[in-house]
Amino acid sequence: MNKDKDAIIKVRNLKKYFPVKKGFLKRKVQYVKAVDDISFDIKKGETFGLVGESGCGKTTTGRTIIRLYDVTDGDVIFDGTNISNMKEKDLSSFRKRVQMIFQDPFASLNSRMTVGDIVGEPLDIHKLASGKERQERIYYLLKTVGLSKEHASRYPHEFSGGQRQRIGIARALAVDPDFIICDEPISALDVSIQAQVVNMLEDLQKELGLTYLFIAHDLSMVRHISDRIAVMYLGKIVEVAKSEELYKNPTHPYTKALLSAIPIPDPDVTHKRESVTLEGEVPSPINPPKGCTFRTRCKYAFETCKNKEPSMKNLGGDHTVACHLLDNKK
Amino acid sequence: MSEKILEVKNLKTSFYTHLGEVQAVRGISFSLNKGEVMGIVGESGSGKSVTSLSIMKLLQYPGEIKSGDIFFKGEDIVNKKNKEMLNIRGNEIAMIFQDPMTSLNPVYTIGDQIMEVIIRHQGLSKKKAKEKAIDMLRLVGIPSPEERVSNYPYEFSGGMRQRAMAAIALSCEPDLLIADEPTTALDVTIQDQILKLMKDLKEKLDTSIILITHDLGVVADICTKIVVMYGGLVMEEGTSKDIFYNPKHPYTMGLLKSIPRLDLGEKKRLIPITGTPPDLIKPPKGCPFTARCPYAMKICSLHAPKYTKIDENHKAMCWLLHKQSPNMKMDTGVKRGIVNE
Repeated sequence: MNKDKDAIIKVRNLKKYFPVKKGFLKRKVQYVKAVDDISFDIKKGETFGLVGESGCGKTTTGRTIIRLYDVTDGDVIFDGTNISNMKEKDLSSFRKRVQMIFQDPFASLNSRMTVGDIVGEPLDIHKLASGKERQERIYYLLKTVGLSKEHASRYPHEFSGGQRQRIGIARALAVDPDFIICDEPISALDVSIQAQVVNMLEDLQKELGLTYLFIAHDLSMVRHISDRIAVMYLGKIVEVAKSEELYKNPTHPYTKALLSAIPIPDPDVTHKRESVTLEGEVPSPINPPKGCTFRTRCKYAFETCKNKEPSMKNLGGDHTVACHLLDNKK
Repeated sequence: MSEKILEVKNLKTSFYTHLGEVQAVRGISFSLNKGEVMGIVGESGSGKSVTSLSIMKLLQYPGEIKSGDIFFKGEDIVNKKNKEMLNIRGNEIAMIFQDPMTSLNPVYTIGDQIMEVIIRHQGLSKKKAKEKAIDMLRLVGIPSPEERVSNYPYEFSGGMRQRAMAAIALSCEPDLLIADEPTTALDVTIQDQILKLMKDLKEKLDTSIILITHDLGVVADICTKIVVMYGGLVMEEGTSKDIFYNPKHPYTMGLLKSIPRLDLGEKKRLIPITGTPPDLIKPPKGCPFTARCPYAMKICSLHAPKYTKIDENHKAMCWLLHKQSPNMKMDTGVKRGIVNE
């Protein structure tokens, strides 16, 4: 396949199960299937959005790809190297190229370290710079994210949420990575600050040629920043498409429902549009429904959905969907 | 004219901390008619939650209402004693809090927590109260309420807990419901369910609602009237059409510009509001938005502007609306979606 050539990361049949332990002997009785057999490619320089409700496994996907969790099964191929079974000590060169920005800027910065040390820590760990060079690099990074060098000697509690998220971004940029996983980087921020951070992420991507995996539940922001979007439900990817295509032509019933649930800041439009309210909640990933996992909430579900798990079908133009309804249409 | 249920006049609320007086709310006024749904929009620190706590008189030390009046059904409640408030709170004014994970008591069952309100305010027997609690759970759309009534909060998911909160708040059929960011902690699909529920309940019970949120999308859907707060002051007030289609304050415009629009199929760069909100220990002398306002003039930092009435329901606090201000070309941020009739 030619397409694979410029893919920076390839995920193949990735699974991540968490054991549920019970009893005195802590026997593993069941598994939470947080990520259950997903595959996708992310191309160099693009932003790949991952959306879904809480508990659908989007954060676990991000953390498994970066090997914060061990892979249960499947492959993660980063730039030609399979990292899914690599030993921790061999991972360090990979970690230099892949970084993460976390959701909660209040919990992800060590409150006992100065901002300079937080941003400089990756440099120390990977022995990239020391002494004066390290200092210069820290100032440069702070400037890149719109802070000044006076901020280096301060502590995280002196900063607002938006500024803290900038510090988190500076830390991720410290090792000069190629690929950054943004795990809900803006959901803890105010609306007026969200736009600042999103614009900055876009600028950095252009300047430094970064590739992003952007995880979020806010679909309007994801569509704004992403080139392609994958929709996850209960550990599985149900639809992948270019972001324009996904919004213009959502095909999976779950994608449709998600899109129609987003409130639109326009009174006339929001009063007129028809919305598909999704009843109920996400079933437990310990015992996901057999067949199509979405069938319990899907109003189009029919007999086949109960028995057979739908496979991904290509609708052309990079648009793939996993739904039995497509077989019925002629 | 319809009956005024709530009137807030020049309310000032401060927190006396060891760093100094934090003037969280610095003189706001608004009124709410019966059956109306009002939205209060603003970012964190704008004073919107403190406003709601002031109305409920739930401020805790070191916060207190400094001055101003709050009339609820014509009665001033600022000077009411806590004992009197106990009969109003939960009965006539009820509140839904932001975080459904922490606002329910984990050691009592959901049923107990709904029954507590019913027994306290309506004096029903325990058995009757339980029946009513089951009815309320059914009303807010909890499946098999007969069994669910004896569940503990940890057995409920986030969306269900928020529904249970709504059941508690609505069990005495309050005249006024204050919902403080009721959907912020929830997924969009669950948010959609909760908003629909609030709309239904409003129609069924004719409750007046104050909806506090930072999400303009949420207020566009169900509010008839919107108040935009910033730095402890009301920047602009109007009907939802005024605010979305004819904003007059640069802050409102900034908010409209900084959110991506899903329905318009365009992918333009977002225009953020630069800078951060003011420090309310030393609030700026003039308009609080001066430091972040792209149209700020000299006078803005010196004197706070007065309200300019644009029409009957629409007013804004900005020097640009003054007769002598220069006529500036502004990008209002208004984008209108296409409505198929």
